[in-house]
Amino acid sequence: MRRFVATSLAMVLLTTATTTAFAGASGKPLVIPVVYYKLPNGLKVVISEDHNAPVVTVAVYYNVGFRLEPKGRTGFAHLFEHMMFQGSANVKKFEHAKYVEANGGSLNGHTDFDYTNYFQTLPSNRVELGLWLESDRMRSLDISEENLKNQQNVVSEEVRVNVLNQPYQLFEWISLWENSFTNWNNAHNGYGELAEINAATIEDVRSFFKTYYAPNNAVLTVVGDVDVNDVKKMVEKHFAGISTQPAPTRADLTEPPQTKEKRVSQTDKLANLPALATGYHLPPQNSPDFPAMALLVQILQTGESSRWYQRLVKEKELTLDLSGGLNYFGNEFDYTGPMIMTTRATYKPGHTADEVLREMDAVVADIVSQGVTDKELANAKVQYRSNFYSQLEGSQGKAHLLSALALFRDDPQQINSLLTPFENVTAAQIKAAAAKYLVATNRTVIDRVPEKGAKQ
Amino acid sequence: MKSTLAIITLALLVTPALAQQKVPPAPGPARPLNLPKITEKKLSNGLTVVLAPLANVPKVSAILTFRAATTASDRQAHPGIAQIAASVANEGTDTRTSKQLKEELRSIGGSISLGSDTDATTMSGSSLSEFSTRLFELMSDVAQHPSFPETEVKLAQENTIQQIRAGRADAGFLVNERFQKAVFGDHPYSFVVPDEKSISALTRADLRAFVSKFYIPNTSHLIVVGDIDVDKTFADIEKAFGSWKSGTAPPDENPPVPKRDKRQIYFVNRPGSIQSAIYIGNVSIPRKDKDYFALRTADTIYGSSFYSRLTRNIRESKGYTYSPFSSSNTRLKTGAFLAGAFVRNEVTGPTLLEIFYELDRMRVLPVTDEELNAAKEFSTGNFSVELASQFGLAGRINTIYTYDLDKNFINDFRPKIEALTTADIQKAAARYFDTYHAAIVIVGDWDKVKDQVTPFGDVTIYDAEGNIVTKS
Repeated sequence: MRRFVATSLAMVLLTTATTTAFAGASGKPLVIPVVYYKLPNGLKVVISEDHNAPVVTVAVYYNVGFRLEPKGRTGFAHLFEHMMFQGSANVKKFEHAKYVEANGGSLNGHTDFDYTNYFQTLPSNRVELGLWLESDRMRSLDISEENLKNQQNVVSEEVRVNVLNQPYQLFEWISLWENSFTNWNNAHNGYGELAEINAATIEDVRSFFKTYYAPNNAVLTVVGDVDVNDVKKMVEKHFAGISTQPAPTRADLTEPPQTKEKRVSQTDKLANLPALATGYHLPPQNSPDFPAMALLVQILQTGESSRWYQRLVKEKELTLDLSGGLNYFGNEFDYTGPMIMTTRATYKPGHTADEVLREMDAVVADIVSQGVTDKELANAKVQYRSNFYSQLEGSQGKAHLLSALALFRDDPQQINSLLTPFENVTAAQIKAAAAKYLVATNRTVIDRVPEKGAKQ
Repeated sequence: MKSTLAIITLALLVTPALAQQKVPPAPGPARPLNLPKITEKKLSNGLTVVLAPLANVPKVSAILTFRAATTASDRQAHPGIAQIAASVANEGTDTRTSKQLKEELRSIGGSISLGSDTDATTMSGSSLSEFSTRLFELMSDVAQHPSFPETEVKLAQENTIQQIRAGRADAGFLVNERFQKAVFGDHPYSFVVPDEKSISALTRADLRAFVSKFYIPNTSHLIVVGDIDVDKTFADIEKAFGSWKSGTAPPDENPPVPKRDKRQIYFVNRPGSIQSAIYIGNVSIPRKDKDYFALRTADTIYGSSFYSRLTRNIRESKGYTYSPFSSSNTRLKTGAFLAGAFVRNEVTGPTLLEIFYELDRMRVLPVTDEELNAAKEFSTGNFSVELASQFGLAGRINTIYTYDLDKNFINDFRPKIEALTTADIQKAAARYFDTYHAAIVIVGDWDKVKDQVTPFGDVTIYDAEGNIVTKS
């Protein structure tokens, strides 16, 4: 089932890039052309030609996610995302969707920890339509009481369908973050409490728009079967006249180091089986430990050859499944604040969370004492590269990575050299990272069991 | 001089730009489609092989489809056998343990997964294209020599039973299961998941017998899309799959398609629900039916695009729901048109009213030219996007073989969509949006919403396990 204008709930384990130009059967190395510049009003612009198919993705990424929403207004960044489809000076309520679809395209938006994005994929000869639509709402969003009330209802239903009426209620995201973090900006429920979503006022919407939805707080990315020079002229025409705003003061996202293991027990009104979630704090992205940690995540819990999957699901037959990754919603590059590695497993009735944890710890202890094999590390790197290519297959995937690199690093050209630090990771670094970060004092554990007792 | 000229030119370009444009820009000239060349060949053992080069990334994507449906004839004796066979087939072969298989896959940046539905069992595989030869070897090994180790069979049986129990807590699972049963009745398409006894009763011998009957090359097709050289890839595939022995497929069941004789409510009681999960629909048509294009376009206008009538009404105007939808869901033997929404308890009745109102409006009145033109653009534009990805194109080619469609389906898509008239849409809606005989399936809290539901028809109430609790 589609989910429109959604906080996406899928865990996407997308990874990294490469300096080495690995060529396929066609002999063509994968090099992504990138043109990057800024308009005088501060808007970052990324253009990448891709002539594989007559399509184009036009995306705008704003440098604000739910970490920065106001206190007392959980869920507001996402509610605001919905308001961006409610019309602007020259586009009536919901007509953004009409224009895009009637021109052969599709569209969506997504609110994440540190960004909110809007994108449309269109036949490439309609690229200017996408630019016009994005510029109209960046410049002149139309905000009305009636539309706010309407979208408060819609978002409340979204929270009900994806969280409140679901078994487990996304505890591996919402509860795990609430318990792992101490800084409100990181810890609070980004999907939002219903009462706070419905308490938002028209003034909240106006002020958020003015503060964060300015050209100097955004990236515009165009990827597809277009001519760079044509697109540059269109960007100038539609975006250059939008006014700069004062740079927003950004909340302090720093998180005090965790010193003691946190254990939480919960009951679930709807679930039939117990489940466990763990979160370990990760080093920051610019830490020398980060690439090793990213490969360790891959070795531990990505795919059916991973160590935790093999131990928990296959050898010990304790859990039905195992999922998780380095960034609950995205990849290594599309966030900026503090992050935890998450893991979730549904375990079998008759067993306990402690049994599951004991096995997870035994796997880690083995890596800490014996390290990983050269073959295991080499395979993990191959899988990494393969997953990275999958992300770059379509214009939308490329636009996503380019936008994140422009937004958070001011350097989308890095797309062609991202893999280097990951390719260079050694087995000794993996071993050291496991010893340093995968310790009980650095983690939070939630055990969630059915209120009515598991059916045997 | 030169630089002055450049500045003037720039100024001319910039000046009108600063004003906000009031009307949408006109499209530029259409760009060429450049679809990959699709080549079909047959191996001597009867395996149909279809190749399409698409070098957008250095990867290769493959789909191997067996005529091993959840509706296959073993369904009667062993319900669920196709699903369990699919889940254990890549857990070990005659020469590789499950773990060896997964490790080899990781070493080529690859994955193999299997799944079965009411028409087929499908194996999807992908890897870096530099390792495509090894991907084909592994896929062939899983297709020809799955060993079904006792421990893996037992684990899959236990886990499937637990996963189904976990699923029964989920309103989405329950509403789909009851809908398929309500619409398809005695037809094999009503099957969703087996009961626990049937799963437990399956043996390794049953599974081996099943795959030897159904995983055979002469009724299967392999679609490969990616960064490939067609001649070399065909030779690799011949080498990997050439030794696969053909067989005689058991005759397929083809019972008559059910016809509903009344509107009826099927209510799955889920005490504590704060929303009602609603599916409304009826039997439609097979994918190859001549009405397919009219039905899918009616569906686009009704509920399967974002700017659809249903979304504008119950989301953007009334705020009842987040993600209303519809689907024409056409398959090999028949299909089921479906409209649905998940809504808070208080608006359950009003939502039913609007879903029916919008369905009936399309049956009684023609859509506007503007709506039809938008739907045509939507379908053809998004079709191009779908064909631009390896699994998108492979999946679309796969439907041609699985649903026995015309081989020109991809090239005919645009002209067939463009030929549709508003009369075609109304005719399709009148026929397949059959509200008068619709199945109405709701998963929710009966005590909370019963007064809103009963005005719409007779009700049968089920529990989450599928037992009838009461009949009105």
